[in-house]
Amino acid sequence: MKKLSFLALALTLALAIPVLAGAPQQPKAPGIESKDYVWNEPAGEKAEILKLKGDAERGRNAYRVCQGCHKPNGAGLSDGTYPQLAGQHATVLIKQMADVRDGRRENPKMFPFAGKHIIDMQEIADVAIYLQNMKIPHDNGKGPGTSLDRGKALYKNDCQVCHGENGEGNEKKFYPVLAGQHYKYMLRQIMNIRDGKRGNANPKMVKVVQNYADPDMEAVVDYMSRLSMPERSAAKR
Amino acid sequence: MKKFVILAAMVGLTASWWVMAAPPKGDPEKGKQIASQVCLACHGVDGNGTEPTNPEFPKLAGKQPEYLLKQLKDFRSGKRKNEIMAGMVANLTPDDMANLALYYAGQKAKPGVVKNPALVAQGKKIYMDGNPDAGVPACAGCHEVDALGYGFFPHLAGQHTEYTLLQLKRFNTGERDNDKGLAMQSVTAKMTEQEMRAVAEYLAGVQLK
Repeated sequence: MKKLSFLALALTLALAIPVLAGAPQQPKAPGIESKDYVWNEPAGEKAEILKLKGDAERGRNAYRVCQGCHKPNGAGLSDGTYPQLAGQHATVLIKQMADVRDGRRENPKMFPFAGKHIIDMQEIADVAIYLQNMKIPHDNGKGPGTSLDRGKALYKNDCQVCHGENGEGNEKKFYPVLAGQHYKYMLRQIMNIRDGKRGNANPKMVKVVQNYADPDMEAVVDYMSRLSMPERSAAKR
Repeated sequence: MKKFVILAAMVGLTASWWVMAAPPKGDPEKGKQIASQVCLACHGVDGNGTEPTNPEFPKLAGKQPEYLLKQLKDFRSGKRKNEIMAGMVANLTPDDMANLALYYAGQKAKPGVVKNPALVAQGKKIYMDGNPDAGVPACAGCHEVDALGYGFFPHLAGQHTEYTLLQLKRFNTGERDNDKGLAMQSVTAKMTEQEMRAVAEYLAGVQLK
């Protein structure tokens, strides 16, 4: 019996290492569309990575494979194609990476550079703390600025309780920092969350935004794109 | 259980390759002797190649020693498939390979020749910014802004256009698959051949400091 389980284990491990040529394909873990979905279940690779102690110096090196898109300063692209990562909570970064690796968060663009074949659990812990320590830039992509009062009212009413007055999120609860994030990135994500297209969404948030019309989405996200978290932000020039 | 832990640790270690980029140790002078006898016809004694007529013959001068050593080992083990190189490295010892890698790494790379200047601007854009629409990361992320490379990410500046292009195409088809983490196969899967050529042209013309 012992031998058999050992064989099974060896086989599983062998299969876990991709041998096919070409870009690796993202797997698909059940997400919010499935009946038994539990948001942020403390299990799997995420739970393992959270136990590891990240090292920012090592993370600087492991981040090489990320910076081709997210840029050396973590800022991503202001047009929202790639999110801003500097100053984000390490817990959030680890959860999102693990969700992309499992396929709970669909992202075929990112997966080839984030899967188990290219970056290991320790490196994820290292990259996460490296990014958390980085300063949030001020020149993130912002909205048109046309409905900021409406946006502020919505934010205070619906978002602030979890994401904080300054968009500081909550490290322990895995709620992301919003301060300094690109307008178009947040708009895309919030719409995906509303429309059931983001597999690892928090059902509590889906409930909050499900009746938002697009103009309200744009107003609140515009307000969010102007939040600032002084303790993690770069000095103003 | 103990065996499993060891196995798991090994799997973990193989993934952390770029973190442990320790340069090889050896004697570049001994490497020069081998270069002058075995490698010179295709790569030149100074590692700047012969005339870039054959896309199979890359410039080696100034590339990282850890990269060059890995390629030699991969030619030897068959992980990087190339009949000519397999024959050339068949009689080299591990020390020979380390010495050779150090020798060529220490040579000064000369600038390359741009064949189609019209492609350079597009190539530079892809190299520096990638192609966000297709999800191509900037080459500069790993190979550095100056294209001088880092650790196992090779120095690319001044390389012959046809060699760079051929490697990109081979990564794309999987004919070359000794890229750790499948990184280059993943990148080239998102590129068109025209983009590959543009990047190769840009790299040939990168000014070397």
